[in-house]
Amino acid sequence: MNYRVILVERNVDMLSHMAGTLKADDSFDLASTYRDADMALGQSSVFRPNLFLIDVDEPRAVELIGNFVRDYPQAQVIGLMENWKPDRAERVISAGGCGCIIKPFSIAEILGALAIYRRRGKALPTRTISFFSPKGHSGRTTLATVMAIELAKKSGEAVAVIDADLQFGDVAMFFDAVTERNVVEAAYDIRLLTPATLEGYFHPLGHNVWIMGGSLQPEHAELVETDQLIDVVRMAGNLFRYVLLDLPAGFNPISLALAEYADTDILVSMISSGQEVRHVKRSLKMFHMWDNYGKKIYTIFTNVQNCTGDHQKKLESELGRHVTKILPVERRITEVTGSGRLMKDLPERTPFVQAVAEFADEMVSGRR
Amino acid sequence: MEGIRSIIIAVFSTSSGSGKTVTAINLAAGLADEGYRTCLVDLDLQFGDVLGYLDMVCDVTLADAQRAILRDEKNFRIDDYLTEYICGETSFAVLPPPRNINDAYQVSVEAVEKIIGSMRGFNFIVLDLTAVFSALNLAMLDMSTVINFVGVMDFLPAVKNYKVGYDTLLRFAYEERKIRLVENQADSDRYIKYQDVERLLGTKFFHHLPYDYQAVTHSIRMGRPLIYSVPLSPLTQSYGQLVDRYTNKNRVTFSSKHEKQDKKGVLSWLLNGRGWKAAQNVK
Repeated sequence: MNYRVILVERNVDMLSHMAGTLKADDSFDLASTYRDADMALGQSSVFRPNLFLIDVDEPRAVELIGNFVRDYPQAQVIGLMENWKPDRAERVISAGGCGCIIKPFSIAEILGALAIYRRRGKALPTRTISFFSPKGHSGRTTLATVMAIELAKKSGEAVAVIDADLQFGDVAMFFDAVTERNVVEAAYDIRLLTPATLEGYFHPLGHNVWIMGGSLQPEHAELVETDQLIDVVRMAGNLFRYVLLDLPAGFNPISLALAEYADTDILVSMISSGQEVRHVKRSLKMFHMWDNYGKKIYTIFTNVQNCTGDHQKKLESELGRHVTKILPVERRITEVTGSGRLMKDLPERTPFVQAVAEFADEMVSGRR
Repeated sequence: MEGIRSIIIAVFSTSSGSGKTVTAINLAAGLADEGYRTCLVDLDLQFGDVLGYLDMVCDVTLADAQRAILRDEKNFRIDDYLTEYICGETSFAVLPPPRNINDAYQVSVEAVEKIIGSMRGFNFIVLDLTAVFSALNLAMLDMSTVINFVGVMDFLPAVKNYKVGYDTLLRFAYEERKIRLVENQADSDRYIKYQDVERLLGTKFFHHLPYDYQAVTHSIRMGRPLIYSVPLSPLTQSYGQLVDRYTNKNRVTFSSKHEKQDKKGVLSWLLNGRGWKAAQNVK
């Protein structure tokens, strides 16, 4: 495919440098260059471009991204930045752009960004969904991983699970995956990464699902700073339409920060000793602080023996709040997660998976 | 008692839901039943279950103790912050976690160290920890005489976490003999054998706790430790043996008599004389 490119960059030297790169490649046809984004927006139509490369270090340019996307529906828009700025990149994506690359760029980087964007899915902001549980052994990782598979299936878009249970994360084991790199390394390196290089920290499972595994040395968790991890999650949003966060149990700096960052928090608790409803009640108090800011908070109980509407009502009255879903006991799920066959042998017909699939469907269609 | 340092047993695991709290409660109850002055400290600060499992209510918590010890360490008396759990003729002290999560978040490692250090009158202190290598847990493991490291081997990721946990303990230079590996057996039809886990760990288990889901459920529902709710369960017996191993006693096992009753379920133990009476006499 040939790209007819409009390049927008305020700095003359940088502009000519990048123009040179584009001219040297046959598949790119540099239609015009501008130093001013407003001008580019108004005049580019005569060139019928299908790709805009726009310097978004310029605040005004960021504001105009949405206009470019609207006025040039045939074209794709890539932001250019000197060093990685997560909020700029997010704004470009939210406005319908394809994300950002670091300037000056190589041709491979442009093609890489376009490929990543195609794979990512719809031109919509990333959904970041955290899975929180007051205590461990709650079915949290199971729910997160099955949800990832179902979201990918329903949406056809790219889904990632980040194992933020830094000490004892099990996500990779559920898929019998040996991840080359892990979340601790990603957090440690994040200041040097771009979406294209961060991709290598994710392990592809096929079927549009990627995972970022945990470390096998619990003490390495100490090396991770909360804002680094947030940056990993934010950057992952440039690669994936859905970013699922498997949090460590309970409230700690990591789980608090990530749950606060996510747009959707799912509280998972397993019914076993009978104390769980009380734990969820106490947890919800903490989540309530964010509730008013358009954040979505769902409560899910797993391992429910008597999975009926009446039982759900009973749990709701104990909790004093709506329960989003109750999930039945499912031995077959434990079997496939425990032996690393979750992707291969997901028991799709079981009530458990069907309930999760239903929830994923509601999420994909924007009802949740 | 002055000068006698308490034996501190830390109940730790690296997988949640492996029976730490149940183990801590039953160790404490068993030790108390043997006549030892015992204190049970719930250090799952945010979501501790000790009070819930014992059906207790407490007016004062670790949060109050922390405030007091930080205000005036010299005049701090730990007894003011302990609640006695009484069952029949035996009792043990309980130090519950803060009531609300924000307070739990404010608990400092240093204060807890001081508080535990101030508990002089006890023969045994049992610590119920959480499944994570946190600053608090590490400080507690440092203070402990033994680490009762519990694991359920019914799930491969849990075995991985047990192995990782054990290796980490060794890497952190905890002495091997201080770490007591305790297997909390899962369902009988489990596909992972403890012998395989031992091979993986390169060491032997110290103790095996048999599977008895019904007994545990019943004990929690009654709000009483196993010896006072399901005394004849093989699990109760096994906790008794574990207590003996920590107190250096040799109990004459009378399990052969009860083995036949294993399968009868919880009612048979209850209606079996001692169990029923014990249940009636308490409180």
